[in-house]
Amino acid sequence: MILTFFDQFSSPCLLGIPLIILSMLFPTLLFPTPNNRWVTNRLTTLQLWLTHTITKQLMIPLNKPGHKWALILTSLMMLLLTINLLGLLPYTFTPTTQLSMNMALAFPLWLATLLVGLRNQPTTSLGHLLPEGTPTPLIPALIMIETISLFIRPLALGVRLTANLTAGHLLIQLISTATITLLPIMPTVSIITLTILLLLTILEVAVAMIQAYVFVLLLSLYLQENI
Amino acid sequence: MPQLNPNPWFFIMIMSWLTLSLIIQPKLLSFILTSPPINKTSTTTKTNPWAWPWS
Repeated sequence: MILTFFDQFSSPCLLGIPLIILSMLFPTLLFPTPNNRWVTNRLTTLQLWLTHTITKQLMIPLNKPGHKWALILTSLMMLLLTINLLGLLPYTFTPTTQLSMNMALAFPLWLATLLVGLRNQPTTSLGHLLPEGTPTPLIPALIMIETISLFIRPLALGVRLTANLTAGHLLIQLISTATITLLPIMPTVSIITLTILLLLTILEVAVAMIQAYVFVLLLSLYLQENI
Repeated sequence: MPQLNPNPWFFIMIMSWLTLSLIIQPKLLSFILTSPPINKTSTTTKTNPWAWPWS
């Protein structure tokens, strides 16, 4: 069986047992449930600070009814952040490279923001389909364009996360293959490629965090329009 | 591209939502904040100006 570069993204399966369960449950092990003490250990304090900061940042632009979404958005952020960062370790599988997972997360949440808006304030939600101050002849075309862009949102949300992480992992694999192959032939070029690999890994750490943040931020933006 | 294999799509979807809702959310709920979030007060505090310098 010839391995291509894309085979790192096939959902891992051992003796018929899908191992993606492990990849998704392992990040939850990094969040120990805190006890009832006022002053807990270092890890819990740091995680509390991180959760608090994320929730604060997400909830500031939202109005009072939007604060009901604090738990789902913060937990989504923590899950995506942990999964993305853990995927950068060698020999790990990143579930967020799977289009299925990202679409499964993006589509229902986007639909929820849309339905909340259409149910509670249909006029305002539909009014977002026409930006203020458009010239009258452009109105039909612009409404169609805005409707299309509205329906593209869940696709874009899911595919953005998938594509960014897949491309990153693929690049890391390509450049590390180049480094290893060049080592006996041209060691100097191999060292340069190794430097590129190190820089790329730092970039991928940043991309992992940024992509998780962008996912949740865009959802909160779609929520702001509709709640 | 192996991500487009529709075979594990449903399983991955269910697993991701189960992880998110049944495991991560209760863990994050059990974090106790040191000060609970409060609304902004509608009245601002009155400050009395003073005539002497800071030092």
